[in-house]
Amino acid sequence: MQFDFPFIVSAMKEMVKTIPLTLMMAVLPIVFGFLVALGNIIVRIFRIKGLVACSRFYVSFFRSTPAILHIMLIYLGIPPVADQVSSFFHLGWSANEIPVSMFVIMALSLTAGAYLTEIIRSGILAMDTGQVEAAYSIGLTYSQTFRRVILPQALKVSIPNFTNLGIGFLHTTSIAAIVAVPEITGTATIVASDNYAFLEAFIGAAIIYWVLTLILESANGVLERKAARFQGGTL
Amino acid sequence: MEKAFDMNMIGDFVPTLTAYLPVTLYILTLSLLFGFVLGLFLALPRIYNIPIVNQLAKVYISFFRGTPIMVQLFIVFYGIPALTGLIGIDTSKMDPFYAAVATYALSNAAAAAEIIRAGVGSVDKGQTEAAYSIGLSGSQAFRRIVLPQALVQAFPNMGNMVISSLKDTSLAFSIGVMDMSGRGQTLITSSNHSLEVYIALSIVYYAVAVLFEWFFRVAEKRIKKNQTRIVTVFDMNIH
Repeated sequence: MQFDFPFIVSAMKEMVKTIPLTLMMAVLPIVFGFLVALGNIIVRIFRIKGLVACSRFYVSFFRSTPAILHIMLIYLGIPPVADQVSSFFHLGWSANEIPVSMFVIMALSLTAGAYLTEIIRSGILAMDTGQVEAAYSIGLTYSQTFRRVILPQALKVSIPNFTNLGIGFLHTTSIAAIVAVPEITGTATIVASDNYAFLEAFIGAAIIYWVLTLILESANGVLERKAARFQGGTL
Repeated sequence: MEKAFDMNMIGDFVPTLTAYLPVTLYILTLSLLFGFVLGLFLALPRIYNIPIVNQLAKVYISFFRGTPIMVQLFIVFYGIPALTGLIGIDTSKMDPFYAAVATYALSNAAAAAEIIRAGVGSVDKGQTEAAYSIGLSGSQAFRRIVLPQALVQAFPNMGNMVISSLKDTSLAFSIGVMDMSGRGQTLITSSNHSLEVYIALSIVYYAVAVLFEWFFRVAEKRIKKNQTRIVTVFDMNIH
């Protein structure tokens, strides 16, 4: 079989069209996951009884199992439950109407929530206790201290971790190809089997992912420099 | 047609899947070993800033850290027969197991190189200077003084790498490897109980990962124990 260089470019043209869907599947889980993580952090800080153990298990489970299993569990587990609910309340819709990419976003949101909980928690742990004492000494309440002093600084030191997570999730979306979502890898599989040029198609896909990763990495550099400006050095 | 959810099936599937755990662990061990050695060779030109090789290593690391493991699996799986075809050897019937090991080894090498480099960077420069001052050569100083300390520093990150590599092996079934996930796929075809299979798979993967995490926690404590003792002038028996 002859290696077909021009096909890499024509395959990439097809795959570039799916970048928006791919980015959506990477970004939305991080946004939703962030809310999940904040919930977890609040449970941990206020040591809400019963929920702390749940939160620990949730974070440990989702960090220790492969993302493909999260996608499969949600993709296969939610529809029967949703159909039951639908028929019970006579809502008149079925889970078949939900696009597969929605299940992927749901699953990855839970994955992201677990990783983000750990990232934010380590950001908080990295903070100087003097910050909290200083906040108390000028009369801030606990929730004010958390919102205005702890959280912003914890998020700032977590910027590189957020970027790594973003890149990780960009790569994780490739798993969605297994449940036939036409994102970058999914499209690569389709054009590859249509033209019987597998190697070329996946090299094309690799180039796209690589470029997207490099863009994210340089964006991280800009963001870190911007954030460093708020770190008032000399008085 | 998918059959109704049956809780008891999960209990039946767990032992069937665990029987294939050795294959998963075998892929993991081989790819970590090869990956670590290759990673060391990638890290050295980065650390000593050797021209050209350094840039090549940089591009290699950037590529393997910049692309999904799924895509890497397919590139290696289809790439090996294409490459060996050039010299007239047909490897298209090769067991996908080897392609999977090669992919994970190449990918782990990139991760290991970055971890080793960070570890070496964290060793105080005074250590190298002290080694030189007592007459060690450059390579002796690296092998006997810097590297052992760097590996201790890198140990927690290495642990994380092993666990994330374990999770990555769950994708090897996509090129047809018969590991735990691959066995899961055949169980789905034969039983039509896909949700139960995936729940059983999650249980096994979770158990293995938790075991690894516990092992690395204990090992880290033991390694760091010898390290924390601070030697003062009073301990030195100067006469």
